[in-house]
Amino acid sequence: MSNSNHNAGADILLDIRGLKTYFHLDEGTVRAVDGVDFTVPRGTTIGIVGESGCGKSVTAFSILQLVEKPGRIEEGSIVLNTGGQNRVDIAALDHDSEELRQIRGKDIGMIFQEPMTSLSMMYTVGFQMTEAIRLHMDVEKDEARDRAIEMLQAVGIPRPEQRFDAYPFELSGGMRQRVMIAMALSCDPMLLIADEPTTALDVTTQAQILELMQQLQEEFGMAIMLITHDLGVVAEMCSEVVVMYLGEVVEQADVDTIFHNPQHPYTQALLESIPRLGHSHEGRLNPILGSVPDPYHRPSGCPFHPRCTQIITGRCETVHPEISRLDPRHTVRCLLHEDPHG
Amino acid sequence: MADTATPSAPAAGKEPLLRVEDLRKYFPIRQGFFGRSVTQVRAVDGVTFDVFPGETMAVVGESGCGKTTAGRCLVRAFEPTGGSILYRNRDGDEVALDTLDNKSLKPVRRELRMIFQDPFSSLNPRMTVMDIIGDPLRVHSIASGSELEDRVADMLLRVGLRPEYMRRYPHAFSGGQRQRIGIAKALILSPQLVVADEAVSALDVSVQAQILNLLQDLQAEFDLTYVFIAHDLSVVEYIANRVSVMYVGKMVETAATDELYHNPKHPYTEALLSAVPRPDPRERSQRIVLEGDVPDPAHPPSGCYFHPRCRYAQDMCATETPELRPIGEGHEVACHLAEDLDLRGITDLVPRD
Amino acid sequence: MTATPHAATPSALPPVETPESQEDMRLLVAGQWQLMWWRFRKHKVAMVATAVSLLIYFVAVFAEFLAPLPRDHYAADYTFAPPQRIKLILEDEFGNREFHPHVLGYTVEIEAVALRRVFKPDPEQVIELGFFVDGLEEYRVLGIFPSRKHLFGPKDPTQPFYLFGADKLGQDLYSRLIFGTRISMTIGLVGVALSLIFGILLGGVSGLFGGTVDNIIQRTIEFFRAVPSIPLWMGLSAALPEDWDAIKRYFAITVILSILGWTGLARVVRGRFLSLREEDFVMSARLDGVAELGIILRYMLPSFLSHIIASVTLSIPGMILAETSLSFLGLGLRPPVVSWGVLLKDAQRVQVLATAPWLLIAAVPVIVSVLALNYVGDGLRDAADPYSR
Repeated sequence: MSNSNHNAGADILLDIRGLKTYFHLDEGTVRAVDGVDFTVPRGTTIGIVGESGCGKSVTAFSILQLVEKPGRIEEGSIVLNTGGQNRVDIAALDHDSEELRQIRGKDIGMIFQEPMTSLSMMYTVGFQMTEAIRLHMDVEKDEARDRAIEMLQAVGIPRPEQRFDAYPFELSGGMRQRVMIAMALSCDPMLLIADEPTTALDVTTQAQILELMQQLQEEFGMAIMLITHDLGVVAEMCSEVVVMYLGEVVEQADVDTIFHNPQHPYTQALLESIPRLGHSHEGRLNPILGSVPDPYHRPSGCPFHPRCTQIITGRCETVHPEISRLDPRHTVRCLLHEDPHG
Repeated sequence: MADTATPSAPAAGKEPLLRVEDLRKYFPIRQGFFGRSVTQVRAVDGVTFDVFPGETMAVVGESGCGKTTAGRCLVRAFEPTGGSILYRNRDGDEVALDTLDNKSLKPVRRELRMIFQDPFSSLNPRMTVMDIIGDPLRVHSIASGSELEDRVADMLLRVGLRPEYMRRYPHAFSGGQRQRIGIAKALILSPQLVVADEAVSALDVSVQAQILNLLQDLQAEFDLTYVFIAHDLSVVEYIANRVSVMYVGKMVETAATDELYHNPKHPYTEALLSAVPRPDPRERSQRIVLEGDVPDPAHPPSGCYFHPRCRYAQDMCATETPELRPIGEGHEVACHLAEDLDLRGITDLVPRD
Repeated sequence: MTATPHAATPSALPPVETPESQEDMRLLVAGQWQLMWWRFRKHKVAMVATAVSLLIYFVAVFAEFLAPLPRDHYAADYTFAPPQRIKLILEDEFGNREFHPHVLGYTVEIEAVALRRVFKPDPEQVIELGFFVDGLEEYRVLGIFPSRKHLFGPKDPTQPFYLFGADKLGQDLYSRLIFGTRISMTIGLVGVALSLIFGILLGGVSGLFGGTVDNIIQRTIEFFRAVPSIPLWMGLSAALPEDWDAIKRYFAITVILSILGWTGLARVVRGRFLSLREEDFVMSARLDGVAELGIILRYMLPSFLSHIIASVTLSIPGMILAETSLSFLGLGLRPPVVSWGVLLKDAQRVQVLATAPWLLIAAVPVIVSVLALNYVGDGLRDAADPYSR
């Protein structure tokens, strides 16, 4: 994808081009993220969906350069536009640099599936929050405390002054998730990366957290990058969707197109395979053949071809499809939609 | 459910295969140097339901509601604290599962099997697939040697795996394939009743559908009855004939699937249904967001356990515990206000075309 | 996927997923021990350490053959004789140089002031060395086959040959170190075997039955662990009757060593049983109707046997060190038993060390064997759970 600044550049908060993150293991190289491009417009919610091993989480970790050895960002750029002409390529920053530390937590906040990834059992919620705030904002202790309590209030934690002195283990799963969101948002980031934020939660708690995220987005105006395997969550939350399979973006479009006019056979199959509330009378489920291949044995050609029902025999096994643009906001990586102009 | 082989409501005149009455399971909380029991968690606290032959009875609820514990009591992986579990065996005799000793339990174990949630921890990594699936046959002295091998091979085919995989170890399989192995192990003894505990929730989205279809096919083929324990309401709607909803160890509502999903009578069921995210942006629903968290089963609230989070709660809800009572054809609910409330089912929550 | 009812024909199934390489195919059908071995093989240091450890045990088994002199051979003339240097080239009187391994004999002078005997190499006295030479006495290989051969030594067995020097009785330190290997390396094994039995038994009982039994065993373990080990050993071995012979004493010491050794293992075993009891596959076996003993033997034990082996390997060095320290303190083994600790005891006094610093060489095999076994244990521990990925 070369000259495709179809979205007027100013609206783009994050522009990822040709991102490749590989893991070099004894058993071989795992190409966890293998040439991913997409953009995150300011103030919107973009969903990254896919099954296990599709590279959605590694993509998120790459954005903050949190990929740990033996993983490594091999190629690509991750340009963050913090406003005006202020562009930083995060992929080019030294992973130890002050600049990167400022971006993490200040410009980009992140929440994880397991809140304990970012909360420590050893310190009170308040201590951890004020530390984070003072690391990124030039404020006094008292101000940081006020800010933290304000944030706890904003994420709907009852009696925030008391919870400020609580230890994370004293809180329920849903409350911890709220604390983590409060922490991620405490420095007013422009982008919130949420990696399966509700997967470990029950439906009713999930509903609370999703509601909260929508409400906070209205209030603070940050963009959200929502990483999930749950198509229901995507449909409820996102305005744009990126579908990933085995480290590649196979389809990208606005949410209505993805759910009502999907073009990639994988997206179509995925949507057909899930049971839907109120639709169970419509017959048997239509599962996708086989299972996600193991990362050491990536299929040749189009990585989806062994499971694809619309395979073009003789081509899909050998030709790795390029991205075709069906319309300005809709791209797909499939030989069925090959760009006639090359 | 499109196919008519299984009844959509408890078939009139049919005797239940399993009758669970006031099932209770309390876990003691031990503390101190010598581990004295100080209090107890009422994980399952009065669960009552029937399971009819050939149907799929689902038990749904959020984590900590006691559905898994209840399921494990049914197969006697746990000793129930109280209540009764009556099971009608192949010979037509009713046996009290809750009081059987280990020896008399053994023949029942052939007919009553379990499928586990986690396909990774439920298979012994140190055994080959043949030993894993064939072990029950050996233990019950049903088959050995080449006969055992043939039966395992046949069972592998039926769950959609090649018999060639028999000599491999579990680590050679993907999550979906392992779950098939777990299903084969459960079915090798030709059981009557299978308790499936979150059998698909650990699987990838695309693999879930394979396993759900497989479970349905096997049910038709072997005339199985399922108790399907799950938290995913979309999956339950697809597979179950009847559904029971649990909340903090108690059963709050039981009804035929369609009835429960379209005409819920308990406010918790309503909230649960509304909370399910729909995989269609045109169906973005009006979520009913519950306040607060699921209460700790060691210290449940007074009266109706749901009243602190219930938007319809009245004074009596805080003091009187509602009993499960019939409210319509095959529909039972534990709510004081069930008759007076006009609750929304899945069709009311979204505009349907 | 497939499996519409009665569609149980192979053609309806997905094709057999045959991995591309032979290597991958082997991986699919590989059992626990195979996987463990493949992982252990990757651990280079552990492989070297294994070779070293095996070599040390080889020395212990064939000590009579490897040592040039019998264990208790002494020669009062050579008290504290210093180590000799092996020279490979012999120059005869015509200046011809020839390959001829030899050592030089000693001349003894009495130092006038200190009245000390001083040994000097005597170039006149060439003691020829050879491989597979006959020794002084007949011995039995593995206790069965009589033989007089030694791997190497002086061609004339009556001539002095002190590769590492001599002790105060003129005994050959090199030979005695080799004989010491046998005791020092096996006392660890016997001690570990005993603590293994205690540990698995008591830990297993504790983990399987729980309740009061568990409570009693756990409190006992805590008590044992709270007692400082050296004073406890000292007390116990001081209580051994003075008139016990070497063999009795040897076994008594191993028992004493294992009294503390079992507690750690018992805890590991108990913890494993407790966590395994909750594992789904164990519950699944129970639901299959497998009897309790079968569950323990076929489901639970195999899943931590590898860990037990690793921790046992790691505890042998502790036992070796314990024997060495006890014997060094004079509370463990005593002469005429030969162990590294007993040999080191000679090096206890500074005066002796000043005269014969080579006595300290007995510390070297202790260090080498402890390090080697530690690395083997580390490698085993890393490889022990081939399923953790």
